[in-house]
Amino acid sequence: MLELKGIHKNFGKHEILKGINITVEKGDVVAILGPSGSGKTTLLRCVNFLERADHGVINLEGVETNCKTAGKKDILRIRKKVSFVFQNYNLFKNKTALENVTTGLIVAQKLPREQANAVGKELLNKVGLSDKYNSYPCKLSGGQQQRVGIARAMATNPDIILFDEPTSALDPELVGEVLDVIKKLAKEGVTMMVVTHEMGFARDVANKIIFMDSGSVIETGAPREFFRAPKEARTRQFLKRFIDEPEYII
Amino acid sequence: MDFDFKFMIDTFFMALKGIPTTLMLTVTAMLIALPAGFFMAVVRRSKTPAASQLIAVYVSYMRGTPLILQIFLLYNLLPTVLNVLFQALHIPINIFNVSNSIYAIVIFSLCETAILEEVFRSALGTVDKGQLEAASTVGLSPFQGYIHIVIPQALVSALPVLCNTTTDLIKMTSLAFNMSVLDMTAIAKIQAAMQLSYIEAYLSIFFLYLILVLVIERIFGLVERRLRIYQKG
Repeated sequence: MLELKGIHKNFGKHEILKGINITVEKGDVVAILGPSGSGKTTLLRCVNFLERADHGVINLEGVETNCKTAGKKDILRIRKKVSFVFQNYNLFKNKTALENVTTGLIVAQKLPREQANAVGKELLNKVGLSDKYNSYPCKLSGGQQQRVGIARAMATNPDIILFDEPTSALDPELVGEVLDVIKKLAKEGVTMMVVTHEMGFARDVANKIIFMDSGSVIETGAPREFFRAPKEARTRQFLKRFIDEPEYII
Repeated sequence: MDFDFKFMIDTFFMALKGIPTTLMLTVTAMLIALPAGFFMAVVRRSKTPAASQLIAVYVSYMRGTPLILQIFLLYNLLPTVLNVLFQALHIPINIFNVSNSIYAIVIFSLCETAILEEVFRSALGTVDKGQLEAASTVGLSPFQGYIHIVIPQALVSALPVLCNTTTDLIKMTSLAFNMSVLDMTAIAKIQAAMQLSYIEAYLSIFFLYLILVLVIERIFGLVERRLRIYQKG
């Protein structure tokens, strides 16, 4: 359903992505793990052209887009089907929770306001914010803001949602509520790619783990094998903490 | 020293007739400078080559020289230059027939545009780039993102400074008498010179400017309170 082929990205002389190949099937929950600076976030941002990759092809449902030459229309087509949840939420501060969800529908897709509001309310109910329709982001906790972010990402009815460290900016007590929402979506069969440092979440929710280091995919596998018996030395080193001290996982 | 209280009151009411001119200059210059300054701020933030440098030079020039000098230069030099130019090109326009108010509006607009460019440039910077990115991920074009997300927030954060620059502009227009425009200051000056009662005349417009600026501040305060809703929740 989504296939990334040979994604390269440089920032100046610095090579961030050294040719990434990833395949995501419908219903997959792909967790991308790796140390900071390994290129996880950049990869995710390249998928919906928040960054433009220098080389590579994105195949979304059989339609191939060349990252280097993609025009406005190609980018728009991908963005319609691929939505994004940001690490620091990036909610529209001048809009209420409901407006945050509906702005894309009303402004970009020209949906009538009532219809958009109905969709928006349904999605906010789904993420457990039925009492926060008219709250502005500044009045919401981090966890609530991120849940609005997730509702906004779902509003366009995307084929795949990209999560960029969705819980990294949250204090520990609020991580759970956001992960619960993501779990719920995963159970419903929403396809997603999640960059995360939450090992427990990756192990329990993802059906595919991708481990990246310094711009390359080091290891790919099902969570069970990945966490129990990582093949690569670099992976073992990364997972050392989690393997040696299992009590930290839970 | 005899303080001619009646003269002061009389001048006060005479200078009232200058308010429309003062306000006309302020409002017109503001209406021209707001979109122009905003546009320049956007261009400069986008770092468009050549254009952004040009704007930077323009802003430095306007900010780096006294307004009174700009007035003298533009008001005295420009008509002469244009006149020579028009005659050379056989364009049948008599530049000296152009109303003084037009010169005043041009010079105040030029000056205010430079000021507002800086105001908007910093105001646009207060809206984090992430929101524009988020707008693009839900399908908004950069233009729509600016209209719905960035500009409303930038305007709100610019409001206190906008209030400042508007009141500054009102006070700046008092220099219009240098271009023989009959604003509040010009009327008071003429009265003062006729009666040789300078203190009374100046005191009268002193209060007039004060009242005018207080009213403007109040209006901005009300607008700001309305627009800031989202920051209070």
